[in-house]
Order: sequence, then structure tokens, then C-alpha cells
Amino acid sequence: MSESQSNQRQTRQKTTQRNYLWSRRWKGLALSLFAIICIIFVLQILQSSLRNSAWTTGYLLMGCLFFLTAYNWRKKLSFLPRIGASRTWMQFHIYVALVSVAIFVCHVGLNIPNGGLEQLLAILYLVVTASGVYGLYATRTVPKKLTAIKSEVLFEQIPARKLQLVLNARELIKDSARSTDVLSKFYLNQLIYFFERPRSLAYLVSPSLRRSRQLVTEIECLDRYLTESQKPAGRKLASLIRSKEDLDYHWALQGRLKIWTFIHIGFTYSLLLVAILHGVLAHSFGGGLR
Amino acid sequence: MSSQKVSVKRPQRWDAPFASDMTEETVAHLLSVEPFSLMTGDSFPKHAPLPGLLKNDCRIVTYEPGDIVIRQGDYGNSAFLVLDGDLLVTLQDLPKELLGRKKTEKMSWLNCLSQGWKNSRFAESRSRVRATESGTGIRNSGEQTRVFIQDIPGTIHLTQTHALNRGMLFGELAALNRTPRSATVIANTKSILLEMRWQGFRDLMKSDRGLREYVDHLYRKHSLRGHLRQTPELQNLPNENINALAKITRFESYGDFTWNRSFKKQSREDLAQRITMEPVIAEQNQPADDFIMIRNGFVRLSRQYGEGHRTVAYLGKGQTFGLREIAHNWRNDLKRGYTMSLRAVGHVDVLRIPAPEMEQWVLGSITEEQLPEMLAHEEHVPYRPQPERRLVSREQEIDTGLLEFLVEGRFINGTEAMLIDLDRCTRCDDCVRACASTHDNNPRFLRQGPQHENWMIAGACMHCVDPVCMIGCPTGAIARDKTTGNVLINDLTCIGCGVCANSCPYQNIRMVDVRDKKGNPLVDGTTQKPISKATKCDFCAEQSGGPACQRACPHDALFRVDLTTPNPLYQLTQGS
Repeated sequence: MSESQSNQRQTRQKTTQRNYLWSRRWKGLALSLFAIICIIFVLQILQSSLRNSAWTTGYLLMGCLFFLTAYNWRKKLSFLPRIGASRTWMQFHIYVALVSVAIFVCHVGLNIPNGGLEQLLAILYLVVTASGVYGLYATRTVPKKLTAIKSEVLFEQIPARKLQLVLNARELIKDSARSTDVLSKFYLNQLIYFFERPRSLAYLVSPSLRRSRQLVTEIECLDRYLTESQKPAGRKLASLIRSKEDLDYHWALQGRLKIWTFIHIGFTYSLLLVAILHGVLAHSFGGGLR
Repeated sequence: MSSQKVSVKRPQRWDAPFASDMTEETVAHLLSVEPFSLMTGDSFPKHAPLPGLLKNDCRIVTYEPGDIVIRQGDYGNSAFLVLDGDLLVTLQDLPKELLGRKKTEKMSWLNCLSQGWKNSRFAESRSRVRATESGTGIRNSGEQTRVFIQDIPGTIHLTQTHALNRGMLFGELAALNRTPRSATVIANTKSILLEMRWQGFRDLMKSDRGLREYVDHLYRKHSLRGHLRQTPELQNLPNENINALAKITRFESYGDFTWNRSFKKQSREDLAQRITMEPVIAEQNQPADDFIMIRNGFVRLSRQYGEGHRTVAYLGKGQTFGLREIAHNWRNDLKRGYTMSLRAVGHVDVLRIPAPEMEQWVLGSITEEQLPEMLAHEEHVPYRPQPERRLVSREQEIDTGLLEFLVEGRFINGTEAMLIDLDRCTRCDDCVRACASTHDNNPRFLRQGPQHENWMIAGACMHCVDPVCMIGCPTGAIARDKTTGNVLINDLTCIGCGVCANSCPYQNIRMVDVRDKKGNPLVDGTTQKPISKATKCDFCAEQSGGPACQRACPHDALFRVDLTTPNPLYQLTQGS
């Protein structure tokens, strides 16, 4: 580790992490607010001198857009030294995006743009901004929900783990079928859907433990119909249901974080392309810089 | 479950002797050689007789001219006795490549950039798998591998060497103190050595006064004064006081030297039981007879709580225990025992100075302000760490559960442990991708590991204080970097024997089968077995910007933390 990094680390460790995060948040908000006030002040001056401020706000927006997209490039170039830590980029990403919203309002106003391309551009900007806001919310709330589940699992390992659970459940059912068919019937009627079919779209949007709790309760109710030798199998099956639920929960929430990023980045590049086209057209038909 | 008892033979100390080829004839011959011929069998206990120690804790090893016996900087658990031949101890620092070490040079910005297109498309591909033109060669294979220097006079200045001949002992201090070897020893002629593993050597010392006094003399001559001077409580004392303390300081070891093998088994036991299984160095409420200095390893400070013991803190190398109690007793008529228990976590070396000598040579020589504060009248006084000291703990500031999790998992051994705050980690794997992009597309850690609440210790090399992985590497490929202190593997001198991977108690070293640049598996030309290499996190030793994983985390979730001291951890976890 370089000396400067070591110093940085020591400086950071003098304050606790919680204090550091809070102070960073307030500093970021204050700086963003200051930047917005400065921009509005400059625009006021431009307008009072009868200049068209749309060029200024347009270029500022384009600059913001390139800077915000550059975070994705920084992530791909993580092998390069001295390009700043990702967390620093992330903070700038958040607060520059916040400033860009103010610039966007100054550029477009509170009206719906009248041209088709401009409408598309505005919609793309709003989609990217909205997905960004959702992303910020999701990245701050979803990890805590995932941590609340005891078992931590890598997203890529989930299908294999699910398959293993299915095989274990089938094995258990096969063994228990030698005495009575209570558990096997229950598996065929109820559990086969839970274990072997993908969860519904509604579950992916809003995962809940309701179904698994219901199934565990039903198994517990079946306990009195089981032989003594089958009872451990019933309990094991209930444990498999809980494990499957944990995996589904991880799948839904980790998947949500991945899908969100995919949408945000996909729309960002579309926005960048349409914004460039908008800039070229504005220069071609807007009479040049004034 | 059946409750029928099954009779088995109780495991014995020498079920697995150091070498299987030690015969009665060899032992008889050894008993006729000095220093064993001077030892009296009567002074050895029945459970560890001298012939038994020689047969089971020793082995005879032969080195050809040029063979490196021990390397400077290596860790080892054996001492050597020269039975025949001449060896050279080098007094100069030998070049890294000669010792099989990795040369760590920071990459230029352009070289870093070129990783963008130079990184291989295939996992674990290599352009070279062995060192060339290093001035060394390799004999034998596996754990019996010997690295030899091809041209001793051309490589080593003979004026800067010291000769070792028949009957001389070497390597004992590093083995007993668990410290790096201070010099490199090379066989100058064909040499026959008796290698004594630590446990046997310790028993030989215990039972033979001559050997004990000899090793004690060496330790006091070379190391002890320095250790006393490094102790903050003693550092301002005049020389005569230090000399007086050095004469009466006792050196003691606790716990299992090979703790990395036993601790996995112990981790299955109940926590309360595990704590009681740890060797007690000092017990709560017992008379505070000694001032205790930790030389190596870690100790658990615990206090009786109900029927069990609750971990209050952990101490490591350089920290001390017992001064408050001794100072209190010195100033008060009402004598107090130790306020906490001190237990060995793994293998621990301590130095003890008796209380009367502390009163005479230390407490009488320091000012009132330098004296530790008096103990409170209550039976359970809070533990007050001394400020501005490494490894101070902060009672009631780090959650006891987290503290016990770190001690139980031996994570307190890590100087650069990868700690992930799962409450902030979005599982985006940017850290894994960044690691891969700086290591030829091969990630060097697993984003998985033991968890306590929202804290996860990920599967990345922790660059331990006690690097047990370094014990037994036959080529010196795994070593501590002198500048940064990080543990690095030289890929070119690694022979894939797996000793380090098996020794790592955290499973953070992985053996991989390597390929060529076209993705074809590489196999040994003779045996057709795959060529393996040991791989692990190198803390981005060659990258200019520090560890890529930490730089790549966008959410302040991943930290490389020195867990040998609870302070950084406190900064991270407080209020989380």
C-alpha cells in the first residue's frame, strides 16, 4: 500500500465509519445545493443579459451525462491505478446526478417538450433518473434484507443449490414412501410446485415467506398421520422448504439488484446516443452558438 | 442411535513419528554422539525417554553440496544438529531469486493499462512455470525437494559466511520462538544433519540441563535484552535494570505449536468447553506473581461470568499483563489477584518477570505518573486499556459476540483480513471482477466466508502475523515481503506440493492446475500429472493503487482490516 493510501486509511479510521458516512452525506448534499444555486445564479445573469441560456444548460447537461456514464467505464477499468476509488466515483455519481436534475428542469422547464426526439430524450432522461433513484434506495435497503436471511449464497450458485434441494426432497420422499404415502402424496399435490417450478413474477417483485410458512404448517399438521420412522423425514422436509425459501428470497432480491443495474445502464447508453443526436441537430438547425 | 461403547486404542504422542526410517541402530548410534552421549537417561521422564525422543521426534537428513538447508526469513519448527559435513551460514542478504522469493516491483501505469488487452482468456494460464537463470537448481520432488546453489563461490562471498561443523546446533531459536530464520544455511560439503522437531527439542531441553542452559544462554545473549527494551513499560529503564531483569526473566510456551491442524476440530466443540480447553497462562483471582509479556501468538483475556468465561479482549505480540495488579499490591497492604484470566489461543510464547523483581527494578525506577492506575475496590474492575498502544481492546465498545467470533475463528491472526459489511454489500461482485482483472483474469479470493451478524470474513489471504502456511515450503516460494510484510507466493518457484494450502487454517490458499497461453493443460513430461500452483491474494503487490478489491467497492462495504488490533474494527463496527 502506498504511503498516501496508508495515511488516508489512518485518517479515515480516526473517525468511526458511521460518522464518516454521515459527514460525507451532508457534505455531498451541501456541495450539490451550492452548485445548483451557482448554476441558477449564472443562468439568471445570462437571461437578464438577453442571452439564450439553453446552450449553457444543454452543454452542462451533456457534460453531466458523460461524467455519469464514465462511472461505468471506470468500473471496467478497475485494473488502472490512480483513477479514484469506486466509492468516491459513486458519491460524485449520486450528487452530479442530483445537480443534473436541476439543470434538466432549467433546460426543459416544467413543460412537456414539443418535438418527438425531444420527448423521447426527456422520457429517457426521466427513466434513467428514476431508475437511479430506485437503485439508490434498493442498494441501501436490499442488502439488509439479504443479511437478515441466515444463509449467504452466491447468485450464480443458486440454481445448483436449488437442484440439490429438489434431489434431497425426492430422495426423502422415496424413502418415506416405504411405510405410508402421506408425505409422497403431499409432495405430489403441494410441494412439487414449490420445489420444482420457478416462482411467480409476483414473488420476484415482492418476495414473501407466506407460502413456505403455509407449507411448513401443513407438514406439521400431517405429523400425526406419520409413522414414528417417518416423523424425522417430515421435519427434514420442513427444513428443506425453509432452505428453498431462503434461496428463492436471495434469487429474487439479488436478481432485482442485477436487473436494476441492467436497466439503468442500458437506458443510460440510449440516453447518451439520443442526447448526442439532439446536440448535433440543435447545432445544425439552431443557428450556431450564441 | 446406538449407545454401545466401542473400545479403541487411545491415541498416543508418538503414533505418527517424525520419520518412519529411524531404526534402533540409528538411535543407538546417536546416543554415542555428542551432545546425546553426555546426557543422562535418568533425567528424562518415563513418558519421554531420550531414545524415544530421538526415535520419534528426530530424523536424519542428508544434504548435498550447495543445498539450502534453511532460508533467511522462512518460518520453521525444527532445530538442526550437524552430524557430519560442513555448512555455511551466510551473513549477507542473499538475492531474492536465489532464495526462491518473488520480486515485487510496482507496475507502471502503461503496464497496468496493458492488462486490459493482455489478460488471458483462459483460467490460470502461464507463459512460464519455472524459474530460469536464478543460479539455483532443484533436486527430488514433493516435500523432499531440495533447492541447491549451483556455484557457491561465485554466488556467495565466502568472507561473509560463518562455518558450521560437526556437533554444532542451529535453527533452535527460530523454532522455539516462532520467529523467521535470521540467516540462510547452505551445505558446503555433503552433510548429514539431525533434524529435531520442536516438540522433541523442547523435551530434550526440559530434561537435559546442559542443553537447556546452552539454548537459554543463546537466547539471553542474542534476543532477550532486545525484547525487554521493546516492552513499553520497560523501555525507559537504565541498562543495569534491564540486565538484572534479563537474568531472572523466564521464557515459557503454551498451546499447540501446530494449532492450525487442531483448531478446526476444536471449533466443533461448544464455546464454553473450548475456552476451558485453552491453556491457562494466568488465572483470575490467583496471586499476581508475575508480570507477563506476550512474545508470540495471541491470548484471550476473559473474566468469569456466571458459570463460564466471557472474552473481554485479546492481546498479541508486544502486549503485557499483570502490571496493574503488581503495582496495586506494591502500593497497598490489601493484596489483589489477577483481575482476569489469560489463556493461550493457539501457540503462545510469554516472558515472565516475578513480582518482587518488578518491584525492585521497575516500579522503584519509574515516576508516579508512569505507574498504572490503582485497581478499584469492586471485585470486577473494568479492563482499562493503556492509551497509545497497539492491540488495546475496548471493552463495551466492540460487541462481545463479534470479539469471540474473531478469537474463535483465529481471525485475530490477520493483518489484512477482508471484512465485508453485508448490510452495505449489494453482492455486485465488482470486487471479484477487479481482483480478476489485476490477476490475469483469475480472482484470488472467494466472496464467501464465516459470518457474524452483518460482518463476513471473506476467503482472502489475511497475511497473518503467524503465517503457518510458510512452515515447510520446500523451495521458499511462499515468503513474507520485507517491505510490506505481506505473504507472497513466487509462482515460478512454487512446485505445487500443496504444503502451504494444507497448512492454511482458513483455506485461503488454493491449488490450481495451470494451462499454457492457448488454454492447454500443462502436464509433467515424465509423470503426465498436471502442473499445479498455489494461489492466493497477494494484496495487489504489483499494482500501484493498492488492493483492487477495496478500491472497486462502490458501497463502502469491503475493507482490508488489521484484526491483530481491535481498534480499526471498532472504528468500522461502532454504531453499525
